[in-house]
Order: sequence, then C-alpha cells, then structure tokens
Amino acid sequence: MRSIKRLLASAAALAVAAAGASAAIAADAPGKGLTIYMQMGGHPGEGPVLARQTGAAEAAAALGVDKLNAQFSGWAPETMIEQFKEALAAKPACIVIMGHPGADAFASLVKQAVDEGIVVTDGNSPLTSLQDAYKTKGFGYAGVDLYAGGTLTAQNMIKDGNLKSGDEAMVYGVFSQAERGLSEKGLADTLEKAGLKVDRLEITQEVNSDPSLAVPILAAYVQSHPKLKAIGTQHGGVTGILADVLKQAGKKPGDIEVGGIDLAPATINGLKSGYVSATLDQLLYLQGFMPVLQCVISAKYKMPGLSLNTGAGVITPKTIGALVPLIDAGIR
Amino acid sequence: MTPRPRVRSLFQIEGLPIIVVFALILGLFMYTAPEVFLAPNIYMTFLSTAPPLILLATGLTFVIAAGEIDLSFPAVIAFSGFVFAILFKDYNLGWIAVVATLASGALVGIVNGYLIASIGIPSFIATLGTQFFWSGIATVLSGGKSYALRGAEDTSVWWWIVGRFGDPNSYAWQDQLSIQALWTLLIAVFLWFILNRHRFGEHVLFIGDSNDVSRVVGINVVAEKIKLYTLMGVLASVAAMMLTLENKNFFGNQGQGYLLTAIAAVLIGGTSIFGGRATIVGTFFGCCIIWMLEAGLVATGLTGAWVRTVQGLIFLVSIIFYLFVEEPQRRAEFFARFGRRTDSGGRDPVGKVPARPARESLGPDPKS
Repeated sequence: MRSIKRLLASAAALAVAAAGASAAIAADAPGKGLTIYMQMGGHPGEGPVLARQTGAAEAAAALGVDKLNAQFSGWAPETMIEQFKEALAAKPACIVIMGHPGADAFASLVKQAVDEGIVVTDGNSPLTSLQDAYKTKGFGYAGVDLYAGGTLTAQNMIKDGNLKSGDEAMVYGVFSQAERGLSEKGLADTLEKAGLKVDRLEITQEVNSDPSLAVPILAAYVQSHPKLKAIGTQHGGVTGILADVLKQAGKKPGDIEVGGIDLAPATINGLKSGYVSATLDQLLYLQGFMPVLQCVISAKYKMPGLSLNTGAGVITPKTIGALVPLIDAGIR
Repeated sequence: MTPRPRVRSLFQIEGLPIIVVFALILGLFMYTAPEVFLAPNIYMTFLSTAPPLILLATGLTFVIAAGEIDLSFPAVIAFSGFVFAILFKDYNLGWIAVVATLASGALVGIVNGYLIASIGIPSFIATLGTQFFWSGIATVLSGGKSYALRGAEDTSVWWWIVGRFGDPNSYAWQDQLSIQALWTLLIAVFLWFILNRHRFGEHVLFIGDSNDVSRVVGINVVAEKIKLYTLMGVLASVAAMMLTLENKNFFGNQGQGYLLTAIAAVLIGGTSIFGGRATIVGTFFGCCIIWMLEAGLVATGLTGAWVRTVQGLIFLVSIIFYLFVEEPQRRAEFFARFGRRTDSGGRDPVGKVPARPARESLGPDPKS
C-alpha cells in the first residue's frame, strides 16, 4: 500500500512537472505576440511561390508566431508598394518585402516603418542600399546573390552544352527591374564573355504574371532562329514552360541548351525529359523560413539583419530524382 | 403589400444596396481584424491608394452607362504615366508635364471615340486594340524600364496633387490625409452632377438606352461618344499622375491590375452592363468594397488561396442583393418560382407568376 501511494505521488509530481514545463515552453515561444506581414510575390501555390509559402508557414508554426499574413501581388511592383502601405497601416511587428519595386520606391516607406518600430526585412530580390541603412534595425536578406546566381547558371549551360564562341543564345528575363534584373544580367553577361551572341528579350508583365502566355512567344522565337543553341532565363514560371516551348518548336532534348531557375513541378518534367539542362536552386523554402526567423529575432531580441545567400547550386537531370517528392510537397 | 412611404423613400437612396453591403463587410472586418479596422491608419492608407481606382471607375460608369466599354485605360496609366515621368524627371517641366499628361490621356480618348463612334468599330474590339497599342508604345518609349522620381516630394506638383494635409515629417494618422483623396472626391461629386443634372449625362443615358432613339430625338451620338471617351482618357491620365507621384516611381507596366477591378467596381455598384442606368454613388462604394477586400481578408489571416474565392462570393452576393432591392419585378418572379403563401395560408402553384397590375389593354386579355 505504501509503495502504491509512493508510486501515485511520484506520478502526480511528474505530471505536474510536465504540465509546468509545457506551459513554460508555450509561454516562451519566441514568436508569441507577433504579427508578421509577408509579401509572397506571385499567386498562391504558384511554382516560384509555393516553397516560400511552405517555409514561411512552417517557420511561423515552429516559432509560435501569432499571425502570418501573406500578401500576393502577381509580381506587380506597384501592387507590392500598395500592399506594403496596407501592412504598414496594420502596425505589425514585422514586414517582409521583396525587392522588385527597387530601393527608390521603398525608401520612404521603409523609413516610416522603421521609425515606427516595425522591423522590415527582405527576401528573394535584394535591396542593398536599404539593407545597408537599416541592417542594425533587423533589415536582412535571404535570397540569392542574383548576379552570381545568373553567372552560375550560365557556367553550367556552357559546360554541359559545350557552348562555344559564336553560338547564338537568347536570354528571356525581367531586365528592366532594378535589382531583380541582375539575375538575368549575370546570365547574359557570362554567356557573352564566353563569346556567344546573346539576344536579350524582356518578359512582359502579362507573362510575368502568367508564364503560360510565353509559350507561343518563345516557340515563334525558336522557330525563327534555327541556329539558336541556348536559352537562359531566371524566371521560375518561364523555366517550367520551356520544355513545352521546345516541343512545340519541333526541337528534341539537347538540341538547345536550357538554363533556368527554381524547381516548380513543371520544371521536374523539363529536367527529366532532358529539355532543361540546369536550373538554379535558390532554396525558396529558406527564402520563406529565414525572413520569418529574422522577424522574430529582431522584433523580440533586437538582433541585426543577417544576410543568407540561398543560391546552393544547380540541379540537373542527373540530380533531380531524389528531390521530386520534396518538390511535390512544396518544400524544394 | 406595398412598402410604407418612409420605407419607399429609403429605397430611393441612390446606391443603397451597395452601401448596405459595404457596411456589412466593413463591420465584418472590424470584428475579425479589430486591430486594423478599428484604427484610423488603414483608412488613411486607402485614401492614398484608392483614388486612381475611383477615378477610373467613375469614368467607366459613364462609358458603361452609354452601353459601351473601355478596355484601354490600363494602357493610359502606363502611357500617360510615362509621359508624365519623363517630362517631370528628365526635363523638369513641372506643371507643363501635368498639362502634357492630361493631353496624352485626352489623345487616347479621342482616338478611341473616333474609332468607335465615327468608324463604327465595336467598343470592345477598338479599345482592346488600343490597349495593346498604347501599352506597347509605353514599353517602347520607356525601354521597359522604371523611372524613379527622386526629389518629387520637394516640388509643388507633388504637394498639390498627392501631398499630405499635415506635417510631412510626422507619421501620425491625422497628418497622413492625402490631398488626392480630396481631388478625387471633388471630381466624383462634379461628375455626379454631370450625370444626373447636366444635358451630357442625360444624353449618355439616352444613348445607353438606344442609339437610334437618341439620334431621332436630336442627340449627336458621334460627338457625345467622342466626348465620353475623351473624358475617360483624361480621368485615366489623372489616375496615372496620382499613381506615379504617390509611388514616386513610374513602373513600366503599371496599371495592368486595374482592368478587372475597375469594371467590377462599376458593375457591383449597380450600373447596368446593358447601358441606360448608372450610379456614381454605387460605383464609389463598389470601389471601396473592392479596395478593402483583400486587405481585410489578409488582416483576418485568410490564406492566399481563399482570398479570390471570398472575393468572387462577395461580388456575386453584392450583385444579387442589388438586383433584389432595385428590381422588384425580378424579386417577384424569384419568389413566384419557389412558391409563396397566399392570404388563406395556401400556396400558389410553383411557377405561377403573380398577376400584373391593371394596364391599358393593347389587345384581348389572354386569360379570358
């Protein structure tokens, strides 16, 4: 009887200790009390967006963030500005932006946010001058060094496709956008330095928002340039449709060397079929996860902004296999 | 049972259905996101971002009232925005840039009006073509690039068009009230009087009812339509300037996101897609609903995938509610289709339309 009582008393003490510990853990969740607004970029569930959404949602859950409010702008810079203003009006703890509108467009708004005690941080497309100005207030960057990412993609294209001086290439990208265009520029510059003749084509806003609209455009380009040896892009959505483009233009895998970016489900088919030769993996999951973490450590613990280069390398038809389940799950 | 006089007069308030929908949605957001919608800051934000949409939708109200459509105004936002940015920034032309921008919008409008009214191209096709043309011109001229208007806030043009009433260095909400909200309100009120009290508005509604009858009664349909599209072009150019100055940036593809939102705002506001009936008050509140919808849903914590679903639902509910209130004939037919109780407590057979009021007989009564 005495041993049973002792056992029951020990079990009760253990239960109380466990309840206290979990209460303590719950109360100490770093993100508790924080509301974060986050610009996701395009449309919900879209290739270049899905992994960021997943990363951000999982970071918010892991850190116990009260509310993560996702904003989708269809990749339109002026919509990103409007949505930043709406986020500012809501006075959250932190706002995560993307650099597509450029530092000039964001400058006064970020200043206002920081002056009002809101942490602002950046992902996917850099805002170097703003990061330099507000780093101590938590302005970090989680994304690719865009120019270097484009360069890396081009180097793999040159090596894999045995591209040589005098070959014709086309780079399809958003060259007009401030820092975001550095990605395409890096790709095009690297091909040019290798002696290729590079044609730079601008992605329109319609295609930017709906990449399927690019299929007839690019198919027509390919058919009108029979000597074309390489196509490069740093637009995730366009990468996904390039296999369709080449099929429609009557090309076989390997006829044209293709370099792209991101690992959308549509891009898997492109890699597996051999139409897409290399795609820059910018670890979009981390571009969603890290800014949320940045928000929490800066809002709660006043830590400065950190820079994380998420440009890991390129994925090729040889390495895509193992990643397929993770891509389908919206993680890679 | 006919409504009592007080209730009847209530239903005669212009735009009442959409005002009720707006109030309900606003109330809902105040409940689901009180930290945002019970504070003044979000409304100050709307006052600095919604004016371009309100101007576009107000102009579109006239166009749709005339039984036409204009799909080219997003291109005016880009084209006129570029004209303004380049003259303001590169040539420092200040107020001359403003006049030139208005002229560029008027030019697009006059071309549209001529193509539709004089040549006779259907407005959907004509303005679809000009939308591609002018946005293409904007891209060609700008090289697809964006222009940052650094130092714009130090100019009188910026202050008079989009400046703030309060201390420029203050972030307090009462200092953030934007002058463009006042201009937009004044323009909307002015155009309400034009639509409802001026001959031009009367002509627009007549044309919307019937082009042929309008000609018979002596309305110069061609001239009125050209004026109509010119008005739309000028309003779009004002919207372009406000957008460009507010952002202190010209973006190469700005304006693309306004096409469907402006049309939706007009239609859920109660203006008839078939022409002949229009309400600027309805359009105004339609804009308010559309503009706050996504912000409210995001603040409530709804994930991105749900936003479009809820938007579509609210649009449909708004239009159905409007039809119910404003069109008693449709309401009666709806209830008749699903049966309604008679005074004795029995049900009318399903599908039987209620007896119409007595009218002058134009022939034998089919029931006798």
